[in-house]
Amino acid sequence: MRDLPSGAALLALARDVLLRELLPLLPEERRLDALLVARCMAIAEREAETGEAPERELRNLYGAGGDTDERLRRFARELRIGAFENSRDGEARARAILWRLTVAKLRRSNPEFLAANGIDQPGGVVGRAEPCPSPVSGKRSMPSPAAKSSS
Amino acid sequence: MAGTASLRSEPRRALLARFLAAASGAEGVEITALTRLRGGALQENWALDARFSGGALDGGQRLVLRRSAATGVAGSLTRLQEFAVQKAAFAAGVSVPEPLFASEDPTIFGKPFFIMRRADGTAAPDRITGDPSFEKALPALAERLGRELAHIHAIRPPRPDLAFLTPPAETGPIRQIAGFRAYLDRHLAPRPVLEWGMRWLETHLPPPVEPVLCHRDFRTGNYMLDGAVLTAILDWEFAGWGDPHEDIGWFCCKSWRFARLDREAGGIADRTPFYRGYERQSGRSIDPDRVRFWEVLASVRWAVIALQQTARHTIGGDLDLDLALTGRRASECELELLMLVDREDCRSDA
Repeated sequence: MRDLPSGAALLALARDVLLRELLPLLPEERRLDALLVARCMAIAEREAETGEAPERELRNLYGAGGDTDERLRRFARELRIGAFENSRDGEARARAILWRLTVAKLRRSNPEFLAANGIDQPGGVVGRAEPCPSPVSGKRSMPSPAAKSSS
Repeated sequence: MAGTASLRSEPRRALLARFLAAASGAEGVEITALTRLRGGALQENWALDARFSGGALDGGQRLVLRRSAATGVAGSLTRLQEFAVQKAAFAAGVSVPEPLFASEDPTIFGKPFFIMRRADGTAAPDRITGDPSFEKALPALAERLGRELAHIHAIRPPRPDLAFLTPPAETGPIRQIAGFRAYLDRHLAPRPVLEWGMRWLETHLPPPVEPVLCHRDFRTGNYMLDGAVLTAILDWEFAGWGDPHEDIGWFCCKSWRFARLDREAGGIADRTPFYRGYERQSGRSIDPDRVRFWEVLASVRWAVIALQQTARHTIGGDLDLDLALTGRRASECELELLMLVDREDCRSDA
């Protein structure tokens, strides 16, 4: 058991001091650097709080053998050669993992970007199994490889 | 930024002044200011004020000295090549700072460099896309940028002065995808979304077109505005022969919309004025399907560049915080890839 406050809590506190107390004291040309430091701290804080995703789905796909990194590497290799394109089911499963992976990474590194794209809106439901972005105005979508191969 | 202080030292200044005098035919040159400009992750830009006595630049001049940064990204042009491309663009009527002199001699300023005139204004993308004082001028700016891009694309091979550029057959999407995959194979962490995006690209290749000179980094953040007036297209280090739609897709892709994700032409306007300026100036129609293909490729490319930038920190040892953070942006590109290619499927599953 680690001592309290946790590393994540200490980072949150330190970040608060940096932004609220130290930032106003800095000369204009160094403020951007301080904001970058704050951003690094926020990422570290969120990484300390959340686990790797999407571990469960990858285990379902490949079984429990090996570690997450190995499963992820295999998944990437198989996507490269189109291994999931033969069945609609396999492809849907693969895409669901891609979404979860991406959303989980952005929750740690840039939750504001998720919100700006209509995912994880503040006050909204966080942690959907398959996040579905709201439409971006005027953007046309493209046919998926599945749509193409089945035509 | 190690070593930049010594570049401002008296002996260095004297060498640089001598170079400028010889290159311009001046009797003497006095350097009155030399300061590193902020930004420029891949290149260093220095504001250089100098007083020329006689010669082609007689009088006070506001210039920029551009040289490579300590660590680089593969695939970009050398400073002398970039100088040649910028000269070709200047001659073609593109709004580009006039390139003046170049030198390969590392004793003058540590590395090869070139000198160009200094354009006024700001290139700050968050300001350009977010400052309400620009609002009214932005649709006209988008149209003007369309015309500028058409001027760039009027440069076609063969061009003896640009003979160093990779032949068009070797710069197409297949080669680019092969390059991205080769990079990811050396990268420590697997990137399943990029692999999936590249597979989509590979199975949706557009037919080849007549190549043109592509800027390959034509986007908000790489042009300067003085007030709301365009003064310069910057950063030519990735230029090469390619499909004109590549530049259009890059300009419009979400990564370069900054404060305004909803404005699809570079965060400054919708696509209509940008496309109109381009089509009127070039006399050619833009193919929206081709643009979308290149937008998907743009997301992959920017993700790979972001990973490469951070590798300059994790592997290259560069301590710049901005570089260390850039790799995190790869996930933003991956989300955009999913949204571009998969959105319809996702909505029907929900």
